[in-house]
Amino acid sequence: MASSTLMDARWIARGEERAPLSRFLLWLAPWIVLLAIGVYAAGLCLYYGLNQTNMDNRFAFGLWIFLDLGIIALGAGAFFTGFLVYILGRTELKPILNTAVVVGFICYSGAVSILMIDVGQPLRAWFTFWHPNTHSMLTEVTFCISCYLLVLSLEYIPLLLRNRQLKQLPSFFVFEHQLHKLVPVLAAVGTLLSFFHQGSLGGLYGVLRGRPFAFRTGFLIWPSTFFLFILSAIASGPSFLILITATVEKVTGKKLVADRVFRRLGYISGLLLALYVAAKSIDTLVWLNFTSRSEGFAPWQFYSHKPFGTPILFAEIVVLGLLPACLLIPETTRRRRWILLCAAAMACSGVLLNRFVLTVQTLALPTLPFDDFLQYRPSWQEIASFGGVIAYGVILYSLSYRYLPLFAAPKEGDPPHVSGH
Amino acid sequence: MFPGIDGFHWTFGHILFLSLFFVVALTILTTVASAVWRTAKDFRTHKAIDFYWKENFSELPERDRRCRHELAGRVISRVCDNAFDCRHCENYAQFVVLPATGHVNSLGLNYSDDRYYHRGHTWLKPEQDGTVAIGLDDLVEHLVGDPDSVRMPEIGEELELNQVAWRMRKNDKEIQVRAPLEGTVIAVGGPREGWYLRLQPRLDLHNLLTFRHLLRGPEVRGWVAREAERLQLQLRAPNTPAALADGGVLMPDLMSAIPEADWDTVLGDTFLQT
Repeated sequence: MASSTLMDARWIARGEERAPLSRFLLWLAPWIVLLAIGVYAAGLCLYYGLNQTNMDNRFAFGLWIFLDLGIIALGAGAFFTGFLVYILGRTELKPILNTAVVVGFICYSGAVSILMIDVGQPLRAWFTFWHPNTHSMLTEVTFCISCYLLVLSLEYIPLLLRNRQLKQLPSFFVFEHQLHKLVPVLAAVGTLLSFFHQGSLGGLYGVLRGRPFAFRTGFLIWPSTFFLFILSAIASGPSFLILITATVEKVTGKKLVADRVFRRLGYISGLLLALYVAAKSIDTLVWLNFTSRSEGFAPWQFYSHKPFGTPILFAEIVVLGLLPACLLIPETTRRRRWILLCAAAMACSGVLLNRFVLTVQTLALPTLPFDDFLQYRPSWQEIASFGGVIAYGVILYSLSYRYLPLFAAPKEGDPPHVSGH
Repeated sequence: MFPGIDGFHWTFGHILFLSLFFVVALTILTTVASAVWRTAKDFRTHKAIDFYWKENFSELPERDRRCRHELAGRVISRVCDNAFDCRHCENYAQFVVLPATGHVNSLGLNYSDDRYYHRGHTWLKPEQDGTVAIGLDDLVEHLVGDPDSVRMPEIGEELELNQVAWRMRKNDKEIQVRAPLEGTVIAVGGPREGWYLRLQPRLDLHNLLTFRHLLRGPEVRGWVAREAERLQLQLRAPNTPAALADGGVLMPDLMSAIPEADWDTVLGDTFLQT
């Protein structure tokens, strides 16, 4: 439908076709309901405390931390694409840059929101900056995520100011341009911050000496999980961008990004995934044969508690790691769209499974002779908050897609021109 | 963290970690401050509007960025790379001496030779008293007819070239008209006066460069012919093949006559809006 016939046409970029406002609101309605339930659940948790959840002193990390780690890993596409475009000069990925920024912003703002509910006492959030524990990986994570969310906000602002109505104001337009000119600086800072906080989130598990399932040796002060988290995040981030963009293309019925951009992202994701699988395999072998033994644990002891048997390890490394890497790297398989999408979905699932295993399996397994295998089932408040973050992401992305130039359409009649006679 | 808190003492870890953090935070803040400062500077030095226009220009479809010499038939095909500011075009002298070729039917529109024309469909006429009068050209008069409302700038306001000079509303659509010249507003008119603005130009009227960016003679005819063609194609009935009239005249008040047309696109293309 031509945008001129829409009620909100003056907010939609000229020449762009969008669904009627009523259909768009109908699409948003269930997500708004989900968000409202999530906000209510979050309110309960903030008001009454963590007794609203099924976490306890032993099972201190649950669904929320899994969500945090998962979306922060998948959101890595934002910094990594910025790094590839602005620092390494891979300009062929520019068409995907705006959507990468929005996805990154949603992932990180969602993660910070859920962390705020988890940590509680948001009015005392400044304590972490005023009284930092410089020996804690989490302090570094807090600092880096706060800064990086600021960077993502600054990268999102130029996009916001490109809205058709906002760009009518010359001051906004000029500021947007000036800020956009400085985006390479922000991309470099974002890369630095992302490397460190992705790493520290992994390092957080690696230093848990009291949790031998997660404990790892490594390099200097950094356990191997520090590097594995970085690698897995930058491997899955591009795949997540492929999935998001392909989903938007499917929902809107439009071709938004050239196939070669998808294939390039797939190739990058595949290469990094292969590297990650190799590193993860070596790490697992070292851990099974040396690290866990030195802590007094038999190699396969960790896998004797169902449902966390060896199939989950096989699934993480082979089915959702090696297999998608093998599908994404060769040109012949990557050219087939359904294979590309399946492989990207598998890569993202693999990283999510890794975060799930490290968060939930680590805490569920007994570590002392008198310990039991712990079971944890999230409360409805945890699930609703989780759903609220997902709904927030869908709503913000939908609004961004409708009103902002996420995918710059090629200008009408723009073939290469001929000069002079 | 900071001195004053009981039991606090600096360690190497504090210094290293906090230094790194504050360097990063400072870099981010400096980046924002730099963008704000550059923006303010652009406005202070009158570069902002020029820059704003150039960005707008780069977003126009290539069809709307054709060189004036192509319109006049002096060159076969050329896209303007100076945002229509021929005053700074290095190739102007090279092309302007070439012979212009004939023009095609322009649907009976009246474009007087004593005026200069801006691509945003305004005309400009130098007056004896050193000021210039500005109005809407004939094609736009046919398109819009009588606007429902007009919002003119204040007298004394400084206008930059290509800045939005005044706004009009017609059938709930906003129309933004660009200024064809930089100067100070000394009088405002309207549809009934036959002109909309009188400006005291910032540049010397006797300098040939002052009006060089505006269209004249064969350029105007070529440009109007193309604009009329575009209009015919955009206003044709839905699901009908593209066809051009080889005669006749444009009917008045097209916006009211064909309300179902995609006026968003038509007005955007006509007034160089993105």
